[in-house]
Amino acid sequence: MALDRRRINGPEDSFPPVFDSDVPHWSPADPRKGRSPSEIRPIFLQPGLISQANGSAYIETAKTKIACAVYGPRQSKNTAYSEMGRLNVEVKFTPFSCARRRAPMRDAEDRSIAVAIHQALVSSVRLDLLPKSTIDIFITIIESDGLDGCVASGSVAASTALADAGIELFGLVTSCAASVVGTETWLDPTEEEARLSNGTLVLACMPALKKITSVWQTGEMKVAEAMGCMDACQEKCTEIHSVVAQALLESAKT
Amino acid sequence: MTDSALKASIFQRLHPRAYLERFVAEDIRPDGRPFDAWRDVSVNVGSISTANGSALVRLGETTIVCGVKAEIAEPELDTPEDGFLVPNIDLPALCSPKFKPGPPSDEAQVLSDRLNEVLASIIPLKSLVIHSSKAVWVLYVDATCINYDGNVFDAALIAMVAALRNTLLPKATYNIETGLTSCSRTVTTPLQILKTPVCMSFGVFDATLLADPTAFEEPLLDTTISIVVDEKGDLVSVVQLGPGVDVSGGGDTLSTCISAAKSRRVLLEGQIP
Repeated sequence: MALDRRRINGPEDSFPPVFDSDVPHWSPADPRKGRSPSEIRPIFLQPGLISQANGSAYIETAKTKIACAVYGPRQSKNTAYSEMGRLNVEVKFTPFSCARRRAPMRDAEDRSIAVAIHQALVSSVRLDLLPKSTIDIFITIIESDGLDGCVASGSVAASTALADAGIELFGLVTSCAASVVGTETWLDPTEEEARLSNGTLVLACMPALKKITSVWQTGEMKVAEAMGCMDACQEKCTEIHSVVAQALLESAKT
Repeated sequence: MTDSALKASIFQRLHPRAYLERFVAEDIRPDGRPFDAWRDVSVNVGSISTANGSALVRLGETTIVCGVKAEIAEPELDTPEDGFLVPNIDLPALCSPKFKPGPPSDEAQVLSDRLNEVLASIIPLKSLVIHSSKAVWVLYVDATCINYDGNVFDAALIAMVAALRNTLLPKATYNIETGLTSCSRTVTTPLQILKTPVCMSFGVFDATLLADPTAFEEPLLDTTISIVVDEKGDLVSVVQLGPGVDVSGGGDTLSTCISAAKSRRVLLEGQIP
């Protein structure tokens, strides 16, 4: 790999430490550790922390920590005229956000997360009111505990930030992930739980309008299980919606 | 927003220099501080579990998170016992409308380079050896700006030093026969840190010395001065960009800044964990 002269470089090759003893592994049929299958991690949501942005939000669900800023609507540059506004989502992992260090180069993972979050949000924003404009949503993942959790929390933070920026929306988007582990459905899986699961589903919806904006399913799942996951996620999304609404209300008061 | 507040914010956007001049004429700054006052500093360490050490620093509205990741590498041939310390700062598009997504901006490259210079002397690289000429620790010290409201260098240096002081390295043993290094999950040691440098930055605007400039003030400054002082009050680095002027009150700019930085350094002592 070519040396990147724009950064301070370390040695050519370095490796994460290898440990002499392994952490105990989960075996199938073990019950979920720490919470019940249908319990999600507690959400801390704070809109408006980034003073330089038009709108912003910080979300923390247990170990997952994500900051999101919205800039715009601003003039689209270097693009052809368009009747509709454009929604641009960029996701960035900090180098220390995962168990293994992420070298600061764009890899495929943040692209796919950005696409999933874009999909979750795009139908909620009134882009028809914003011709020739771009809304930029920048998301920085400070600490990650499961990619599915990052997509779900990232979507919630981005929707909160859009509302904080005063951009017209059809409704707030909330999102929740579910994994099928053995015979059970575990909501809001951590990284370790997602690894054990057969399949994972992330659902994003606008609870106020009872509309789904995106479903993203990976891995293996029976049709009935997928339906069960979607029902469970939708129920949680309604609960998350009140958390988001409360957070926005409190930040609007101050 | 009331009508007069809206008018003021439009005036600020269109005529930033005249806006600041009017505040300075009244002996106060737009955020209500006197010229020599600093913004509050808060430091929170160890909140990121995926890093070996971490710190979150807020300097007024400026917010920096820093994480240290330790990895293992082969040392350079000419320095078989020296480890590596690799500090970088990222100014992502998230933190300010000034920045675009993509590779590091000029400002980020300059900041990383200055941080590298200041941090070079704080850890003896020989203390990072695992086995001479076979394995050493590499400490990647990565800071990310979450909110850019001026004086990022001061905040980033506090964050990096606090994260390094928070770092625990697992006990590592190198097996000569297999050539592999294995680490203990239970036994950890802190880093050997020689000094705690803290930076204090100033700006000169129309012969007025402003301590700890904000993002609004920074582009209007004629001169910026950064003084890095360690815990003994010794100078580690002095940078002055722009002409020195006789500030109101007499004396030359640089020595005024150095004595202000030293007295501020003492006050900060208790706030950096």
